[in-house]
Amino acid sequence: MFKPRVLTPLRALERAFTPTIRSTPALSQSQSLLRTLSATPTFPKTTPTPSLSSALLPFTQVRHASHASQGTANRHSRDPAGKRLGAKRTGGEYVVPGCIIFRQRGSLWFPGENCGMGRDHTIYATQAGYVRYYLDPLKHSKRRYIGVVFDKDEQLPHPRNAPSRRKLNMAPVPMAERVEAQSDLVASVDENGVRVADVEAVEAASGPQLRPGYMYREANWEIGRAAERAGITAMPHDRGNRWLAWRKRQQRAERAAQLKSLKGKKKTAKK
Amino acid sequence: MAHCELASKPLLQCLRNTYSRGVAGVQLQTRAFQSTASVREAEAETPSQPFHKAPDPSLVTSPRLERRLLRQGTTPIGSRRRRAALQNSDNIPFEQLPYQCFQEARKILLADREEKLKEIETMRQRLARQEALSVEEAGGAKAKKSRVTAMQLHLEHLKILADINDPLVKRKFEDNEGDMSKPIYRFLADRKWREYRRKILVQRITQMKVIPDVLPHCDPIVETKLYFGKRQVQAGEFVEAKLSTDAPKLDVQMFEGGEKLVTIAVVDPDVPNVENDNFDYKTHFLAVNVPISATSTKVDLAQLLEDSQVVLPWLPPVAQKGSPYHRLSLFIMEQKDSQPLDFAAVKAKETNRDTTLLRTLQSRYRLKAIGAHLFRTQWDDTTLEVMKQIGFDGANVELRRKRVEPLPYKRRNPSSFR
Repeated sequence: MFKPRVLTPLRALERAFTPTIRSTPALSQSQSLLRTLSATPTFPKTTPTPSLSSALLPFTQVRHASHASQGTANRHSRDPAGKRLGAKRTGGEYVVPGCIIFRQRGSLWFPGENCGMGRDHTIYATQAGYVRYYLDPLKHSKRRYIGVVFDKDEQLPHPRNAPSRRKLNMAPVPMAERVEAQSDLVASVDENGVRVADVEAVEAASGPQLRPGYMYREANWEIGRAAERAGITAMPHDRGNRWLAWRKRQQRAERAAQLKSLKGKKKTAKK
Repeated sequence: MAHCELASKPLLQCLRNTYSRGVAGVQLQTRAFQSTASVREAEAETPSQPFHKAPDPSLVTSPRLERRLLRQGTTPIGSRRRRAALQNSDNIPFEQLPYQCFQEARKILLADREEKLKEIETMRQRLARQEALSVEEAGGAKAKKSRVTAMQLHLEHLKILADINDPLVKRKFEDNEGDMSKPIYRFLADRKWREYRRKILVQRITQMKVIPDVLPHCDPIVETKLYFGKRQVQAGEFVEAKLSTDAPKLDVQMFEGGEKLVTIAVVDPDVPNVENDNFDYKTHFLAVNVPISATSTKVDLAQLLEDSQVVLPWLPPVAQKGSPYHRLSLFIMEQKDSQPLDFAAVKAKETNRDTTLLRTLQSRYRLKAIGAHLFRTQWDDTTLEVMKQIGFDGANVELRRKRVEPLPYKRRNPSSFR
């Protein structure tokens, strides 16, 4: 670079004019110019002579009241709002399936009998019953468990070799007749729970109707069966047909390569 | 493979071939001492048929030919890698292999075997002397018994040690030609089973909770395989209802010598009981006094004797629509001291499939579970047909989940909100 060669005459000039530079404000512009040109300080440094008084006195730092009263800058970001963790149901309380028993960060408690653990380690009940907090040293020496029992005075853990206590929670219902043709689904709610059943195919396929979005159109499943109506058949997949698989893979690779090349072209065109 | 190796491969093959030809000459000279013909010579006698027409099960490597052999009913011998290696080998017996270090090693192994055989002989004599002693001389019946059992165990151990280093034994075992009446092959089979298959079985029966649900404890010591028709069922697999209409076949492999009399039971602990809102047990099969041994392993549950073995004949398992899957657990239970049970008494007592609990049977007849297996069944397309066939009375009913009443909304501590 040309920098050093240019700077040397300037420096020489400076040395010659040092006292005048300090006094004259007009030349300070050239000084700042020089600073921008060369990062190194150009003035000869004067070594500071330690004064007598500072050497004798002990080193003390003083913080005046004006500093302390301002407080710390980031206190509020370091002290966030509580996340409402902890036990939502105590031992012995009645819960139903899905009822949240304990919210936690990490697995402080583990799911025991008739309990599950959610995505954020929340313990919830999978059966209706009474909550128990317990240890099970035979299962794990250090884990604490939360379980749900069916009887109010039942204790956990159960003995190791006892058959597991389960509930069926099911009711017999006459079997629904299967509808052969494809149709729309409707749901009805009664005391036995939600029942999803079919509408007869003849009704469902009665041409375009007013559908969500204020459109007169066919049902989605009818659109999905367009290929079937048109008599288009796809070759059944055969895992052993490696020749076809290879051809498809080649095609995909070619297409990817083509797209990639197009992408590159676009970039160059923009520039 | 590196390029140099690729290039040198044909050369090496060529060298190997000339070398083997040289060895074959040696073999011809020593032919008189050999009792069996080598494979190569046997092939040379019948060159009329090409290999792909009549593949040799000990040499076949291509998957297509292997499949054809399997369809014909012969299993290829050993691993494919070994078969491929055998294709290029000359099948020279171990005694004639021209490797000095190998032969020295063989000598050491043979000497060790001789030593072990001597030990076995002395141990046998000591055992005979111990058994001949009277109770007073041996210092009490208990002491005598413990000493004799310890000696017998040591003797069995020595028998295994004598053969464990024999390459021919290893090869025979790998080819499934091992004679299970010999302790060494039983030992090898047991070790192989415990390495993987048994672990899987124990995992399945404990994870699916068969162990605390049906029986409190089971330590499998016999390997059990289950077949419906020709199809083998892995432990815990789902089986179609139609497939399980006929009683399964069992392959019970014992790893001890002698014969045992066992009770075989198939129990379903998942029969839904709507009235009591829980699950019942059902015994789908019960047979007593079934003899098994290390050599006779096949037990066909349909072929057991009606008048002296089968207490409760096979009942095809079905699962109602909507019910949780049923675990059909099979247990092989050793009878106390291999003594036969009184069939008539058992048959008179155990008549109800729903009330015979396996735990009760175990304590009543002093049984001990030595083997287990498990398959599952659930509602499928063939279940309805099977239900009609066996006259199942809940065929037109399906089970649906009951709605659980939600907890009432409770406002917590309302006074503090005001």
